[in-house]
Amino acid sequence: MKKHSKPKVAFFDFTDCEGCQLQFANMGSALLELTELVDIVNFREIMSEAGEDYEVAFIEGSITTDNDVKRIKRIREKAKAIISLGACATIGGVNGIKNRSPLELAKQRVYGDKADTVNTIKTMPVHEVVKVDYFINGCPVYIPEVISVVKCVLMGKPYIVPNYAVCVECKMNENVCRYEKDQECLGPVTRAGCNSWCINYGNKCYGCRGLVDNPASAGQKDILLKYGITLDDILQRFTLYNDSMGEKYDKDLKQ
Amino acid sequence: MKYAVIKKEDLNKWFEYLKKKARLYAPKKKENLYVFRPVKEVSEICLDYIPTVLPPKKYYFPQKEKLLKFSVQPFKTAKAIEEFEEFILLAVHTCDIAGIQCMDVVFRDGPEDPNYLNRKEKMTIIGIECLKYCDDKANCASMANHVPRGGYDLMMVDIDEKFILHINSEKGERLVKGVAYIKEASDKDMACLEHAREEKKKIFKEEFKASLSEVYESFDNNFNAKVWEDVGRRCVACGNCTAVCPTCYCFDVLDDMDLSLNEGLRYRIWNSCQMDDFAKVAGGEDFRKGRDLRQRHRYYRKFKYPVDKFNRYFCTGCGRCTRTCMAKISLIETVNALVEENAVSKKNTATAA
Ligand code: SF4
Ligand code: SF4
Ligand code: SF4
Ligand code: SF4
Ligand code: SF4
Repeated sequence: MKKHSKPKVAFFDFTDCEGCQLQFANMGSALLELTELVDIVNFREIMSEAGEDYEVAFIEGSITTDNDVKRIKRIREKAKAIISLGACATIGGVNGIKNRSPLELAKQRVYGDKADTVNTIKTMPVHEVVKVDYFINGCPVYIPEVISVVKCVLMGKPYIVPNYAVCVECKMNENVCRYEKDQECLGPVTRAGCNSWCINYGNKCYGCRGLVDNPASAGQKDILLKYGITLDDILQRFTLYNDSMGEKYDKDLKQ
Repeated sequence: MKYAVIKKEDLNKWFEYLKKKARLYAPKKKENLYVFRPVKEVSEICLDYIPTVLPPKKYYFPQKEKLLKFSVQPFKTAKAIEEFEEFILLAVHTCDIAGIQCMDVVFRDGPEDPNYLNRKEKMTIIGIECLKYCDDKANCASMANHVPRGGYDLMMVDIDEKFILHINSEKGERLVKGVAYIKEASDKDMACLEHAREEKKKIFKEEFKASLSEVYESFDNNFNAKVWEDVGRRCVACGNCTAVCPTCYCFDVLDDMDLSLNEGLRYRIWNSCQMDDFAKVAGGEDFRKGRDLRQRHRYYRKFKYPVDKFNRYFCTGCGRCTRTCMAKISLIETVNALVEENAVSKKNTATAA
């Protein structure tokens, strides 16, 4: 196969905790292998010099100000491929909680008497503002999936994010289900792709990858109600990472 | 020798011996459940266990299995696995042996599946007969899989201080022959076996409220039964019931390049009819859109289609799907509900006529 010219890759962060970029820094040897394939020109967490010439842009974080909107549009003009990295960029993430109350109220709560000086808009995942070519869900992202996506980018192939439940991977790993131990878990409605990461380590699924396209809201609600979880709590669980879907689930769950 | 006996105190010695013969897999405790695992210490082996989270199918039809190695430039393909290793599955319940028999029928049906056949050839099965129910989720008596019906090399049956070993193949014979502490069963041992079987008959009763042929008829006559609506409403499409089923064999095939982007592996990975996109085809058409239709399909793949095609029920009665379902959808209840609907619709037709 003809040698690929190394594409230049840049990382940009918006509203987030930078934990997903940190996952890259934590990759260890895989990161070195990746740098064989791509040229990282802008990555604040592991290098100091900033390059402004790039073909592939990893976007971390959600869009929450007018300035963010302008900035992401400029990046879109320049980048051949945009990759949304992590829950904030792909589905809005925890920042989406802001959308649950009127913007003015949210500003008041956070900034008090300085609220007027703050420019903020509702929280949006990146694809609500510009076209996104690849999605890497998760809070934080799961490194093996990151590598799969990078390979797809280099081969010019689409990456299909799984549209089945975390349970599918969880069962392949032969975990003892949380429900078998009288604990609840959001695995049945959450989009797979993390190899049931949290359950493998004894935790439960919190739904950080967002819900599958067509979650069984009614069925899941019945299951959780049996665990003594109130309807409001169920809604909060469904939307912890994905508030842009808040209204839909509000309707689905309360019917 | 057709029947042998081994004293319980000699079992661990024998298991050590088996471990040296081939890779040994056996049930082991995991949290509050059980799983098949490679045996490290024979003391970890659990002979008294309820069906494992995944059936032993993971050893002859692995969750993710390499099919092919390839390179793009120059274009080359090669076997992904050069040699398959000998292995022994120890303490397999009769329901799971029925599961292996089902898979055998499917993977031998043309075109034969080489990966399965390669593994099957290297596999030795040592069964263990249940003398009491694992729990109330099982429907093995209705499926007639609560008793040994072939498909194994050796079968162990507990007769108090000893285990009877039924030797059912040459492979099995090789594992007991020349072992000093394994003796031919005496008439007295055989009488104990008879007695154990008689006692067992008192415990195991058909779990469905109708015979298997009536169950088949209920599936045959009531494709649009109401029960699927209820099941579909409760099901969350997690896919657990298909993953844990010893007779579910659907898979997807995917190519995975390594970082050279020139070489890669082709895999097959478990897939299932409970997933939202499973029956979606080009153009976006989905011919089993609802969870009700998907669950119905799963049941028909156990109680109707394989009966028509292979003359074999593809439910072993292991009860795993019921045990694993967080929505508490029970196979026995679902089948019974369908049988009832069938009875009602038959009565209605009779009165109408
Ligand atoms: S532990 Fe959670 S993800 Fe795993 S099977 Fe159970 S519900 Fe699904
Ligand atoms: S198991 Fe759930 S919470 Fe954990 S990484 Fe996967 S999707 Fe996120
Ligand atoms: S285990 Fe239960 S909830 Fe999950 S797909 Fe099967 S029937 Fe539906
Ligand atoms: S359908 Fe259920 S009970 Fe029957 S073999 Fe499959 S998992 Fe076992
Ligand atoms: S389902 Fe029947 S054969 Fe299988 S483990 Fe339970 S009692 Fe034994």
